[in-house]
Amino acid sequence: MVNQCMPLAMVSPGEVATVVGVRAGWGLTRRLADMGLVPGTTLRVTNSQMPGPIVIELRGSKLVLGHGIAQKIMVEV
Amino acid sequence: MAKEFTIALAGNPNSGKTTVFNNLTGARQHVGNWPGVTVERKEGSYLYQGYNVKVVDLPGVYSLTAYSLDEVVARNFIVEEKPDVVVDILDSSNLERNLYLTVQLIELEANLVIALNMLDLAKSRGYQIDVNRLPELLGAPVVPLVATRKEGNGELLKEIVNVFEGKAARKKIKLYYGSELEEHITGLEALISGDEELSYQFPPRWLAIKLLEQDKEVLQKIGGNL
Repeated sequence: MVNQCMPLAMVSPGEVATVVGVRAGWGLTRRLADMGLVPGTTLRVTNSQMPGPIVIELRGSKLVLGHGIAQKIMVEV
Repeated sequence: MAKEFTIALAGNPNSGKTTVFNNLTGARQHVGNWPGVTVERKEGSYLYQGYNVKVVDLPGVYSLTAYSLDEVVARNFIVEEKPDVVVDILDSSNLERNLYLTVQLIELEANLVIALNMLDLAKSRGYQIDVNRLPELLGAPVVPLVATRKEGNGELLKEIVNVFEGKAARKKIKLYYGSELEEHITGLEALISGDEELSYQFPPRWLAIKLLEQDKEVLQKIGGNL
């Protein structure tokens, strides 16, 4: 099976994904890295609804992201 | 008159800083505000071994970069007011994330005491933490804590004084960024070290790294010196 690369915003709740990269400016990339979201990190989407924020679990903690930011995070499912 | 020194409590949000603060200061704490900003800052004091220790509870932060106000407040306090000891409080059940701040405090060359809080929770989650190996790796004393039950409080009090008196085993840890970056860090560091005022104000290596990161606050602050 070929792994698909897509924005985090497209991942369904319950799915596990690995971060491939962040397509954003320096500030946001740094901010996400500070919270442990760097390429290679495995995360699980626990909630994702439109409209509304996306809740993910990574490194044992929960992170809530807006859809705009989640669009900029590329993951592999 | 009792001798005085200042300690700061730093740590991620929800790592138990305020519980530790209350354990240390008992009923003598009072609540205040940082002038001009809305981030809460608590101050208190306690007496221990003839010292009057002033405790500052900093806002909980994940890192010491400069994009949010609470981070700037925490960082400025450590960089500018230079507390004698910084107690870094970690949530042991989430060490990986918490150690990120620790690394930044190490780079800031703060006089650290590392408090491994919530050790009971970490254990119940099945984590085994080598408390004897950590001080060696982090270059600072490590105190296991369960702040909600006041376990380890006495040890923490002792280590804080030890670090203040320079009696604790400390080791300068240098984080290596790879040859490509190190070349630039070392170059900048040498320039900064040559400037008496800058090298007095900031740890030169830390400043070099922040300049390479193009940290806005830092750039603004030293703008006049360049």
